[in-house]
Amino acid sequence: MTLFGTGVLKGLIVTLKNFATSYFRKPDNGGIFTVQYPEERAKEIESFRNFPFLVYDGTPEKIRCVACGICERECPPKCIHIVMETEAGTGKPAKRPAVFEIDYGLCMNCGMCEDVCPFDSIYMDHAFEVTASDRTQELVRPKETLLKSNDYFLKIRPGTATPVDQKRRAAEEKKKTAQAAATPPKTNP
Amino acid sequence: METLELFVRIGIYTLMALVLVFALGVVTLRNLFHCALCLAAVLIGTAMLYVGLRADFLAAVQILIYVGAVMTLVIFVIMLTEHLGEKSIRQNNRQSPAAVISLSGIVVLLAALLLRTPWPVTDKALQAKASVMALGKALMGTYAFPFEVISVILIACLIGAIAIAKKDLPGEDVS
Amino acid sequence: MKEIEFFVDLIFVNAKGWCLDLLGHFLPDWTVVLVSIIISAVVIMVLGPLVMMYLTLLERKVIGRIQNRYGPNRVGKWGLLQPIADGIKMFTKEDIVPAQADKIIHFLAPVIIVIPALMVFLVVPFGERMTAVNLNIGLLYFIAVSSITTIPIFMGSWASRNKYSLLGGMRTAAQMISYEVPMTLSVVPVIMMSQSLSTNTIVMTQAGDMDLHWFVFTPWGLVGFVIFFLCAVAECNRPPFDLPEAESELVAGFHTEYSGMKFALFYMAEYMNAFTLCGIATTLFLGGWQGPLFPSWLWFFGKTFLLICVMIWFRGTFPRFRVDQLMGFAWKFLLPLTLINIPVAALWFFVPEQLAWIYSVPILAVSLWGLVKLNRSFVPEKRIYPLAD
Repeated sequence: MTLFGTGVLKGLIVTLKNFATSYFRKPDNGGIFTVQYPEERAKEIESFRNFPFLVYDGTPEKIRCVACGICERECPPKCIHIVMETEAGTGKPAKRPAVFEIDYGLCMNCGMCEDVCPFDSIYMDHAFEVTASDRTQELVRPKETLLKSNDYFLKIRPGTATPVDQKRRAAEEKKKTAQAAATPPKTNP
Repeated sequence: METLELFVRIGIYTLMALVLVFALGVVTLRNLFHCALCLAAVLIGTAMLYVGLRADFLAAVQILIYVGAVMTLVIFVIMLTEHLGEKSIRQNNRQSPAAVISLSGIVVLLAALLLRTPWPVTDKALQAKASVMALGKALMGTYAFPFEVISVILIACLIGAIAIAKKDLPGEDVS
Repeated sequence: MKEIEFFVDLIFVNAKGWCLDLLGHFLPDWTVVLVSIIISAVVIMVLGPLVMMYLTLLERKVIGRIQNRYGPNRVGKWGLLQPIADGIKMFTKEDIVPAQADKIIHFLAPVIIVIPALMVFLVVPFGERMTAVNLNIGLLYFIAVSSITTIPIFMGSWASRNKYSLLGGMRTAAQMISYEVPMTLSVVPVIMMSQSLSTNTIVMTQAGDMDLHWFVFTPWGLVGFVIFFLCAVAECNRPPFDLPEAESELVAGFHTEYSGMKFALFYMAEYMNAFTLCGIATTLFLGGWQGPLFPSWLWFFGKTFLLICVMIWFRGTFPRFRVDQLMGFAWKFLLPLTLINIPVAALWFFVPEQLAWIYSVPILAVSLWGLVKLNRSFVPEKRIYPLAD
């Protein structure tokens, strides 16, 4: 038989212990696990995703995006808007986006654009401090602000970026060898 | 000091007037809850008058019993029975004239009694302060019998209330 | 050394005395009396809200630590300006009155509830010679005035025309009436021992050697203290007795329909009541301002805040009572225990001390055990769910 009131005392001791240990224990050991945001920052997790950004290789002109519009079609909240560029003289499609806008106010951070992109061009970013003083205009981000270098991508998500790079490099090599294999017969004879 | 006494005098008369106003409110207001609140105000005002008459103990007991317990019970009953939607009730009916006549008779009787009673306003009586200990001794000594009778009555009330509130057992005769 | 101690002890009393002396040179006698009253009144009017403001901060801090968080710590150092920020917020909030409400009573309720909460400060002995009014019925006055609190709560709950408010009001009434009974009766042994209702005299009788002759160090005093403290927690509607404002069932109980400053007044009354009840518990059982070494007012405030911290600790620990448990606890457990406690205290009064210990401890222990046995809670039959597996 347990004595009357022991349960009450047990509960009181638990809370008292919590109170006391909050002063000197580490977070994972019964201490306070609040992260005091502006001064302290939580450790960034690699698979953390926020808003999408566009990857370019080297310089912003070498953009990976070919303006195919798959992400635009797949985007559930329809927050992506793409217009393909046309060649200046001929008027033929240039496989480059003239306009690439994402409305951050609509984006629901699902990451579908990243999944569907066949050109490894659009990825989810880690930057979460997205602010605007206006809810219609400023949250619509144009191509210029969306573009970020591959180096940045490698830095924030090495786990995703490295295989992508390897794949791309392999594809390039293959293309080169194919080209090399295809060209000699023309010059040789 | 005279100025201070004047203030006290003005205060006492204002208090009396307020008590009267609230007492009128109890019998004239058409909302039962407002009436109850007025009654509470009257009781508190009376307690304050007791303080003015240097009957601190009586005042405290008045507030504790009447305002703290009885009024709470009254309001509780009002809340349980009165439909909140019904805002007003009639405070008078056919019996009102008869009640007014009989009440004014009682008032006249009481006033006559009060005026005829010799009130010994002596210095000693004015200075006398009923201590709690003396009150307690009087209750347990001189007035032990009435005190006990009252307690018996209260016990009877309690038992009666329980008997009324008790659920009838299935086999019991309801009549 | 003794003189310094004495000086520190009476520093506030002397400060007031000097002010009055200074005024006495220029003004007629009756104004000095008036000024004396006004000084005490102003001190209390400032102390009440100030205590309330910092109690909210203390509560949030302690509760935070109990739940492994920092409390408010942004506004000022350690969040010390947080109560002021809250006050500004409360002042600037919109005051919403329901369309169907009884406007006058809805307005009056929060105003009236503060009055008894401030009035009880009058008889709390904050230190040696630091009782605002040394009433010879001080304790009775305290109990009487704090019993008025139910009426404004009723007014607020009824005038809001809201069923949650009304339910909260009904619960308040039931709870406060029930817990007033054991609370008042648990005080009786103290009155018997000190033979006085004056809070000052009660503190004086607990002096003894080393100023440690507190009532709580006797068996009846300990039982009385525990009962009084539990009733005090129930009286100021704090968890685990916070049924009148149970936010998971009644939104906010009787102050559901209040916002802005009116809500703040309800809040203020609640915290001031908590403070005064802890202060009176200190006075009655923990020796008030009696204590060795430190100045009297420090002892008083130290003990009172310790009790308040225990209240907060309770809040951080216990889940809410059910209504029937609440009522059962008051009527079936606390009330009989107080009734047993009174004769035990009487016995203590007439019997020499050692013998009294031998008598009273077993009596109280056995009655406690018996009450626990009689109060065995109803455990419903375990339900079997044939389709669950």
